[in-house]
Amino acid sequence: MISETGVLVERELKKWVGRRGTFFISLITPVAWLALFGKSLNFVSMFSAAGVQAANPIIVKQYVDQTLLKLFGTTDYFSYLATGMFVVFAFFQSVFGGVNIVFEKRLGSMNRLRMTPAPRSSIFFAKMIATLIRSFFYETVLLVIAIALGFSLDFNVLNFVEAGVAIALLSMSFISVFEAIGFSVDNQEVMFSIVNLVNLPLMFASPALFPLRQMPWWLQDIARFNPITYTVDIVRYNLLGLHSFNMVEDWVILLGITVVFVSAGMFVSLRILENY
Amino acid sequence: MPTPDISIDVRNLTKRYGSLLAVDHINFKVMRGEIYSLLGPNGAGKTTTISMLATLRMPTEGDALVEGYSVVRERTKVRKVIGVVPQDLTADDELTGLDNVLLMARLHGYSGKEAEERAWEAIKFMELEDAAKRRVMYYSGGMRRRLEIAMSIVHNPKVVFLDEPTVGLDVQSRRHIWDLVRELKKEGVTVILTTHYMEEAEELSDRVAIIDHGHIVAEGTPEDLKAKVKGDRIYVKLKSDAETTKAIEALSKDFNDVKEMNGYVVIKVESSADAMPQLIKLLSNFDVTELRVVRPNLEEVFLELTGHGLREEESFDAFKFRRLMRAVRS
Repeated sequence: MISETGVLVERELKKWVGRRGTFFISLITPVAWLALFGKSLNFVSMFSAAGVQAANPIIVKQYVDQTLLKLFGTTDYFSYLATGMFVVFAFFQSVFGGVNIVFEKRLGSMNRLRMTPAPRSSIFFAKMIATLIRSFFYETVLLVIAIALGFSLDFNVLNFVEAGVAIALLSMSFISVFEAIGFSVDNQEVMFSIVNLVNLPLMFASPALFPLRQMPWWLQDIARFNPITYTVDIVRYNLLGLHSFNMVEDWVILLGITVVFVSAGMFVSLRILENY
Repeated sequence: MPTPDISIDVRNLTKRYGSLLAVDHINFKVMRGEIYSLLGPNGAGKTTTISMLATLRMPTEGDALVEGYSVVRERTKVRKVIGVVPQDLTADDELTGLDNVLLMARLHGYSGKEAEERAWEAIKFMELEDAAKRRVMYYSGGMRRRLEIAMSIVHNPKVVFLDEPTVGLDVQSRRHIWDLVRELKKEGVTVILTTHYMEEAEELSDRVAIIDHGHIVAEGTPEDLKAKVKGDRIYVKLKSDAETTKAIEALSKDFNDVKEMNGYVVIKVESSADAMPQLIKLLSNFDVTELRVVRPNLEEVFLELTGHGLREEESFDAFKFRRLMRAVRS
């Protein structure tokens, strides 16, 4: 099974690199995300624009810093947002990982794979691994850009690995679910509607952009069912030292979600792969 | 256990989609090294039958042994000994032809140099050497079909399934593929072919099963089947419907089997040569616009057995159609 999975991952990556247009657009996307999103939400200039002026600009700065500290736990909103973006970007990559399954089914190349004696699970895992590799690549780009734009980071290998593992688990969970959806759905438009139905709401119902504390109670309740919430918490804790929940709680929940999502996604995908 | 000469043994194979019985308890055996055709119109159940034999779909009922392995219980073993050329184009058009064939070799368990040697062998067999390193999106329709076959035979399968292998191809490409299929037979490969072209079935097959509405209505060598429609048919077209009716009346006096079909008067005779003088005499007072003699062929057999023709409305998937057109252009 391992060798077949390897062969199939190689195929996915070959296609990814071969599509030069998409490859470069995907490179630009993280830049746009961080630069536009991160830098347009510049709270210091927002306060001054709102007319909070004083004879002493230092007082204004102190006031702004205090507010930011109270809201986000840090005065550096860009770093706060960047950690959220690392998670959200990986999440988006995984959700879209299922889209090409719909196309491969319709165009016949999925059928071609089904004709071979390769284990059905290798088809499932190859998609997952290829998406993880792509995500890892883009995450690295994202990190470099974030640092260039002023992301302040205490570099520590262990924290880095921990944050990376959390993002990988979240990605695996969503790739599995969206592979299952990709296999179940026969039409790419249905697939896109499902993707759009979940991606933005899940991003906003999480602490990726704003802290949970600032949300209305009902949104906070929803966010507690959102895997992104726990992943962001782990990543932010490891890279910035900020967190809302207990780390043990975060990890237990994230691991639980991963086990459930991956098994469910795999179960559905393999069933359909055997007989569609 | 199957006897050593039987390559495929189909037993009560059935596929039901909701209330539709796509394949209804069919039985047939295919000998090793035989070219066996399933002939029938679109929607007859040919593709569903092949899909079940190729383990792409699970039978609702019944079973089939492919080289002794059950398509229900030993699916992976079946997949190792078969090659499938489906109706759709399944090559990945973002990759080169070589990459596609190589991928198949590797997924069949070959690695490194051996995989590459096999891939080149299949590519040479299909005469695609010059295009091997080009991306598939730049292939012509005939080349794509040949690539599909190359991908399906790279692992030296014992059985090859070809589902409508020449749909949408020009005469030259069609003949080319026919030659390659005969070549496979020479190498001892069992070939199962579906087609709705009766020339194709007649030209290639050792035996033909005529399939309609999920049933096998007749089976035998093309000669056996043609013997089922004894004699020739003469098709006569007249200027008006009124004349047609009158002509049927007049001809029925001297000929036993005179029918009206799709606006034609159809006369079944033992020998058209013997019948012609009398026919011309009887028709001398009519305004004949067309007269055609049809010798027995599989299309006639099909018509005789099912009461309808082989070519019927095809189901239409715009997405696939566009891809097919893109492939066939150039």
